[in-house]
Amino acid sequence: MHRTARTTSAAIALTVAAGITACGSSGGEGVAADKKQTLTVWAMGVEGEKLAEVAKVYEEANPHITAKVTPIGWDVAHQKLVSAAAAGTLPDITQMGSSFMGEFVELGVLEPVDTKTFKKDAFFPAAWEQGVADGETYGVPWYVETRVLYYRTDLAKKAGITKAPTTWPELQQAASDFQDKAGTKWGISLQPAGLDAVHSWYPFLYSAGGSIVSDGKAAMDSPETVRALKEYGTYFAKGLAKKSFQPGYEVLTDFNSGDVPMFYSGPWTMTGINDNYPDLKGKWAIAKVPADKSSSSMAGGSSLVISKDSEHKEAATEFLSYLTDTEGQKDWFKRSGDLPANTSAWDSGELANDANFKIFREQMETAQSWPVLPQWTEISSKADDAISQVTQGKASAEDAAKKAQSEIEGLVE
Amino acid sequence: MSTTTEPAAEAAPVKTGPGAHPPPGGRNRGKRQTVAVQQMAGWLFSTPFLVLFAVFMALPIVATLVMSFTDFGLRNVTDPFSAEFIGFENYTKLLDDEKFLKALFNTAYFVVVGVPLTVGLGLFVAVLLNNGIDRARTFFRVGFYAPVVTSIVAIAVVWRFVLDPSDGLIAGLASEVGLTSPDFLGSEALAMPSLIVMAVWRNLGTVMVLFIAGLQAIPPDVREAARLDGASTWQEFRRITVPLLRPTMLYTTVITTIGYLNVFEEPFVMTQGGPSDSTLTVSLSMYREGFNFFHMGYASAMAYVLFVVIMAITVLQLRLLKDNTK
Repeated sequence: MHRTARTTSAAIALTVAAGITACGSSGGEGVAADKKQTLTVWAMGVEGEKLAEVAKVYEEANPHITAKVTPIGWDVAHQKLVSAAAAGTLPDITQMGSSFMGEFVELGVLEPVDTKTFKKDAFFPAAWEQGVADGETYGVPWYVETRVLYYRTDLAKKAGITKAPTTWPELQQAASDFQDKAGTKWGISLQPAGLDAVHSWYPFLYSAGGSIVSDGKAAMDSPETVRALKEYGTYFAKGLAKKSFQPGYEVLTDFNSGDVPMFYSGPWTMTGINDNYPDLKGKWAIAKVPADKSSSSMAGGSSLVISKDSEHKEAATEFLSYLTDTEGQKDWFKRSGDLPANTSAWDSGELANDANFKIFREQMETAQSWPVLPQWTEISSKADDAISQVTQGKASAEDAAKKAQSEIEGLVE
Repeated sequence: MSTTTEPAAEAAPVKTGPGAHPPPGGRNRGKRQTVAVQQMAGWLFSTPFLVLFAVFMALPIVATLVMSFTDFGLRNVTDPFSAEFIGFENYTKLLDDEKFLKALFNTAYFVVVGVPLTVGLGLFVAVLLNNGIDRARTFFRVGFYAPVVTSIVAIAVVWRFVLDPSDGLIAGLASEVGLTSPDFLGSEALAMPSLIVMAVWRNLGTVMVLFIAGLQAIPPDVREAARLDGASTWQEFRRITVPLLRPTMLYTTVITTIGYLNVFEEPFVMTQGGPSDSTLTVSLSMYREGFNFFHMGYASAMAYVLFVVIMAITVLQLRLLKDNTK
């Protein structure tokens, strides 16, 4: 009974197979790119809606293609994609969040990217890495995001801070100056615990040169990682950051009121401030992540993938080229505000001249992405636990890191 | 029901109930044929339910049981037959799983504190509304019932505002009188009680409605007789109301217990199980293992442990509470 290396019996076959219909049909020969055909595309949230507009434009230039874009909500995306993968009904093209990639590579439902059509050096390195697993590329980078430091310039003036902090000590000094001299409630907002607390910690981790998993091995107890944990913890120990965590916390409310003068966030927050808090105009700025060894932030974003079962791979590849080449990426930025993954799209217009976008571009050059692993959610949740242990003062950075290390070692084979 | 359809109506004479009527229209068919038609009609009418039950209830229940003895993981989603049988390994692993044991403890805490509060307060409010306030009765009934029909997301927004330690409602009231509000959801000791208060508030309405129905089913002459015999209000409540409400009490206790053993939404939207797993419940950890980490086999084992616990407690409650009524 124990670990008999046998495939399961009729019972599971019957019960499971009845629930999960037969796995994808084997694609067949595939349709040539210039034949009349319909491409099915899934994209998440607002992107799904905007992509439908782009698809219309594409259809006009390529009348033999009909691109059917279905927007799906981010909250249901993961489950919907997994069920579709199980049932073999994934669309020809799917938007893939960077944290999903590992799972779907493991499921074996993605077609490797044609690296002759899509060139690695056309994209930000971190964006490209998000689609690479076991030496094979599965995703074409579509748009990127990275986290930078947002801060209140008017409060900084009050606190006697004359320039944006560029190092760890300067950041901590700034946090306490904001609190002491400008009377802000907190020095900075950092997520102390809960799901995806790691996202808030990455700017520290990567700047210290640490990582959670490095070269396929757990690296939580490396000196760099421990150093990053320790530094993160001091903000809570000193009362510079709020220790308690609320799911769904909206930092902009406190940024607006002045309770929180600094926080890390991505490009969407610029739009968020401009749209919701127009009174803040001229009172805030962004800066690169304060450096330890280097200034290095996390890279996120989305890729586009083609299904292994698709019968329209050639046409799908052409459509993806259109979406990810320089012109397509510029057009996408104009429509959605998402930052282009293709570096040459940054060389003209607003992206090249706006001071804030310059900061994002610089930050993106050194940004790092987490490894593409099927168990990534579970691995990063162990790091979340370590972070909460430290921020709640329940364990030293060393002990929390050691515990996470042994747990993660069990997860990466 | 038996007169709405023709086959059923024809079948009426087969039944020998006191209300049996001769077949309408006087059509003469063999008794045997009528039985067959009746049976067929029965199956026909039950088929939609049976199919739905089989596909959406029975099958997943069996599949989960089978899965709980396998190492069903992410890669088996596209290839279910490659999952391996590992016997009771998932179950023995559960016994060593610190997080799961903590979740079990938290769930028990939630039930032990939450159920008596919900049922007790539900009864109290029902009695008040049934007797006391005359004019505004409907208003209060709706008021207490409103949380039941409100979306949990909306409830979460409101309760976060109430509990927020810096500018929440309680914090505001506290600062009026010169006190500082504790951080309800951020403190390991207070997070669970806060969620319990929220759940009691949210489920009170259901229990209250059931009790009001129960109270109104008590014949007024019983009360009148008691009053004529000189019973005080308290005596009337203890000797008349409570015993006659026993069935309702049993029912509300059982459904509230089952609901609280499954508690998921409150910790999911308010704390995500934190701080430091102090509000992690069995259902929440099952959800995480299954849908975040894809340990489907392991999550299924958790589901079955929870199932057995619920079954045992329900049977126990039925025994204990039912015997008392005799």
